[in-house]
Amino acid sequence: MRVAVATSNLILGFVYCSYGVITIIDLARGWRANGLSHFGLAWIAMAFTCGPHHLEHGFHVASGRMGGPLDLLAVAVGFPAGVIWFLLRVEATAGGRGDRFVSDDPWWVRALPPLLGVYLVAMVASAVVVITSHDTRFGPRYTPNLLLLGIYMLIGIYLFRTQLWNRGSLGGWSVSGVSLTLVFPTCGVMHAVYALYASSGRYHVDPHGLVIDWLAVPAAVYFVWVVRGLHEGKRSDWNRGAHGVRLATAPA
Amino acid sequence: MGVQRRPVRDADALMVTIVAWLRVGSTIAIAAAGALPDDLTTRQNALFILLGLVWVPWSVFVLFASERHGNPWALYGGPIGDLAGLFTIQVLASTTGVATLSGYLVVVAFTAYNVGRRAAGAIAAAAIGLAALAQAIVPAHDRLSAGAVASFAAAAVAIVLLLDRTTARHSMASARADRLESTADAILGRIGDGVVVTGARGEVLNCNAASERILHRRAADLVGSRCEVALSLHRDDRPLDCSGGCPLLGLTAPDDPLGIEVSRPVGDGRRQPLLVNAAPVTDGDGLVIEVVHSLRDVTRLKEAEEAKTLFLATASHELKTPLTVIRGFVEMLMQDEMTDDMRPMALNAVHRRTLELGEIVDRLLLSSRIEAGRVELNLREFDPVTVAAERVLAMSSVTGRPIRFEAAEDPPVAIGDPAALATVLDHLLDNAVKYSPDGGDVVVAVDTADDEVLIRVSDQGIGMDDEQLAHCFDKFWQAETSDVRRFGGTGIGLYIVRSLVETMGGTVVAARAEGGGTVFVIRLREPEEAVDEPARGESTMIGEFMRQIGVPAGGDVRRGG
Repeated sequence: MRVAVATSNLILGFVYCSYGVITIIDLARGWRANGLSHFGLAWIAMAFTCGPHHLEHGFHVASGRMGGPLDLLAVAVGFPAGVIWFLLRVEATAGGRGDRFVSDDPWWVRALPPLLGVYLVAMVASAVVVITSHDTRFGPRYTPNLLLLGIYMLIGIYLFRTQLWNRGSLGGWSVSGVSLTLVFPTCGVMHAVYALYASSGRYHVDPHGLVIDWLAVPAAVYFVWVVRGLHEGKRSDWNRGAHGVRLATAPA
Repeated sequence: MGVQRRPVRDADALMVTIVAWLRVGSTIAIAAAGALPDDLTTRQNALFILLGLVWVPWSVFVLFASERHGNPWALYGGPIGDLAGLFTIQVLASTTGVATLSGYLVVVAFTAYNVGRRAAGAIAAAAIGLAALAQAIVPAHDRLSAGAVASFAAAAVAIVLLLDRTTARHSMASARADRLESTADAILGRIGDGVVVTGARGEVLNCNAASERILHRRAADLVGSRCEVALSLHRDDRPLDCSGGCPLLGLTAPDDPLGIEVSRPVGDGRRQPLLVNAAPVTDGDGLVIEVVHSLRDVTRLKEAEEAKTLFLATASHELKTPLTVIRGFVEMLMQDEMTDDMRPMALNAVHRRTLELGEIVDRLLLSSRIEAGRVELNLREFDPVTVAAERVLAMSSVTGRPIRFEAAEDPPVAIGDPAALATVLDHLLDNAVKYSPDGGDVVVAVDTADDEVLIRVSDQGIGMDDEQLAHCFDKFWQAETSDVRRFGGTGIGLYIVRSLVETMGGTVVAARAEGGGTVFVIRLREPEEAVDEPARGESTMIGEFMRQIGVPAGGDVRRGG
C-alpha cells in the first residue's frame, strides 16, 4: 500500500512538473508571436504547486509515513488519465498530433459514467467510515485542501461542458479532452482525501506541505479567473487571432 | 427619478479588480496564518476554519463578480464581506486591536474610492457600529480606550469625505482627458495623412498608423529615433537641417493647410514626394516643446497625373490615326477622285478603321465602368475550355496568325463569367499577337492545379523587363513611353484584364516565358467541394488546454454555436 501510494504520487509529481516545464517552453516559443499568456502563466503556477504537493507527499510516504487506501483509490482514476494527457502533450511537443478523436461512444466512454458513480459512492462511503471510526479533528491546516477541492471541481465542470459540446457538435470525443476532464476532479478528490487523512491523524501536515498547499490556492484562483475571463471574452490571450479578432468559442 | 451612478471607467474597473485581488490575497494570507501555530484555542481554531472556508470563497466570488463593470456584488458585497470577516476576527480572537480597526479604515477607503460617498458612508457607519459592538463583547482587558475608538470613527468619516471629493474631481478631469484622448486617437487613427510628433530635441515622440504606411516603418522603430533620420526629408535634393530646431516651422505658413512639397529617398535612387506641414506646440512661456508634423504621400497623385497626361497623348494619337485615314478616304470619295475599282477598297478601309475606333472607345468605356464599380459579372460554373477555344479561333481568323491551343483531357469547370473571360482572352491574345511582330508561337493552354483552373497565354515576342512586369497591369501604364511608339495602344488593356479576373475571384500574373516573350497566367477558382478535414492536434500545451476548456487558441478554426 505504502509503496503504491508513494510511487503513484512521485510519478504524478514528476508528470505535473513536466507539464510546467513544457508550458514554459510553449510560453517562450509563443511569446514573440502572441505575447504574454495569462493562461500559460496560470497553468505554470498550477503545475508547480500541484507537482510539488505530490512529490512532497510521495517522499513523505516513501520515507516511512503511512499511506492510505483512499489515497490509492483517488489516484486510480486520475493517474492513467493524467499520464495519457501527459503522453499526448509530449507527442504534440515533438510535432505529433497530440490528440485522438473517437467517433460515437466506444465501450470505454460508455463505461466511464457508471465507473465514476461507483468511484464516487466508494469514496464517500469510505470517507464516512474514516470519519466515524477515527477521532477526526478538522483544523485550519486542512482548509487549502478543501478550497482546492472546490476550485478543481469548478475547472472540471468547465472541461466537462466542453466535452459534452464536442460530443453534440462533432459526434465524438477528444481523448485529450476526456483525460484532462478526468484529471481535475480526481485531483480535487485527492486533496479531500489528504485533508480527511490528515484530520484523522493518519497523515501529518508539516510546514512544507502547508506552504505548498496554501500557494496552490491563489494559483488555482488565478487559473479559474483567467479561464472565466477567456470564456466571457473579458481577457485576451492566445485565443485571439493576429488581428485581435475573437475566435469562436464553445457555447457557455 | 432614476438612480444616478458615477460612470465606471476602465481605471475604476481596474481598481475594483485590484481591490478584489488584494482581498483574495489578504483572506488567503490571514487564513494561512491561522494554520501555522500549533496551540490554537477552540475559538481561534473555529475562527480560522471559518475564515478559510467562508471568507476566502466569498472573496473569490467577489473577484469573479468584479469582472462585470458596476456589479453590485463586487461593489457592495466585497466591503460587506470584509466587515463581517473583520468583526469575526475581533470577536473570536477577542481583540479590538489597532490592526483590525485599520482594516476597517482600509475597507472604508476603498469603498469611498470605488463606489462613492453614500455607500462608503454606510460602510463607515457599519464599521463604527461593529467596532463599538466588539468593544462591548470582548473581555474588558482587551478593549480599547474611548479616545481610540472616537479617533477611529473620526478617521472613517474624514476618509469618506476627503476621498469622495478627491475622486469626484479626479473623475471629472480624467473623463475629460479620456474624451480628448479618444477623440484625438480616433482622428489620428482614421486620417490618411501621416502625423509625427517630435520633441524639442527632435526625437520622435509619437506617430499614427498613416505615418507608418507613408514612411514604410513601424511605429516602434520610429518612436525614439531622430526626426532627421526617421523622416529624412529633402528639399531641392538637399536634406533639411534639423540641428537648429524644426526647419519646417520656418518654411510653412500657419494659414497654409497643405504645406510645402519635399521628398525623401526610398532606395534605388527613387524619391517619394511628400506634402508636409509643421505646427509648434508651446508651453506657457511660448517655448516650443513639441512639433506636430503632417505628411501626405503624393506619389500616387503624381503618378496618376503623369499617367493621365500620357494617356491623353496616346489616346489622342490612337484616335487620330484611324480618323486621319477615314477623313482622307472620305474626302477623296467626296471629291470623286477615285476610280470605280478603288471605291470598294476605300470603303473597306473606312469600315476597318471605324471598327478600330469602336474598339478603342469600347475599351475606354469599359475602363470607365470598372473605375466606377459599375461592372457586374454573372458568376457561375462554366467551361473555360470552350470559351478559350472560341476566342483562339476568332483571334486567329481576324489576325490570320496561327494560335496553338492546348487543353486538359478532363475538361475543368471554373467559377466566373464566360463573357468576361472572353474579353480577358481577347485583350491578352491581342497583346500577344501585337508584341510578337516577328512571329513565333502564341499558345493558349487550359489546365487545373491545386483546386484552380489555370489559363496560360504565352508568346515569343519582345517580352518585358522587371519594371514592365511589375507595372504592366497599372492603369494607363505602357511599356513604351517615348515619342516613338512602335505598337500603339491606350495602356488600359491589361488594367481591364486584371480588373475582370479579380472580379471573378481569380488572379492574373505576368512573367517571362521560357525562350523569350511573355506568359500571362490566369487562375480561376474551381467549384468547392465539401471536404471532411481530420481534426488537427494543437501543438502547444497552452493551446490544447484552452481548446479543451472551450476557448480555442489562435488559429483554431473550430466553429462555435
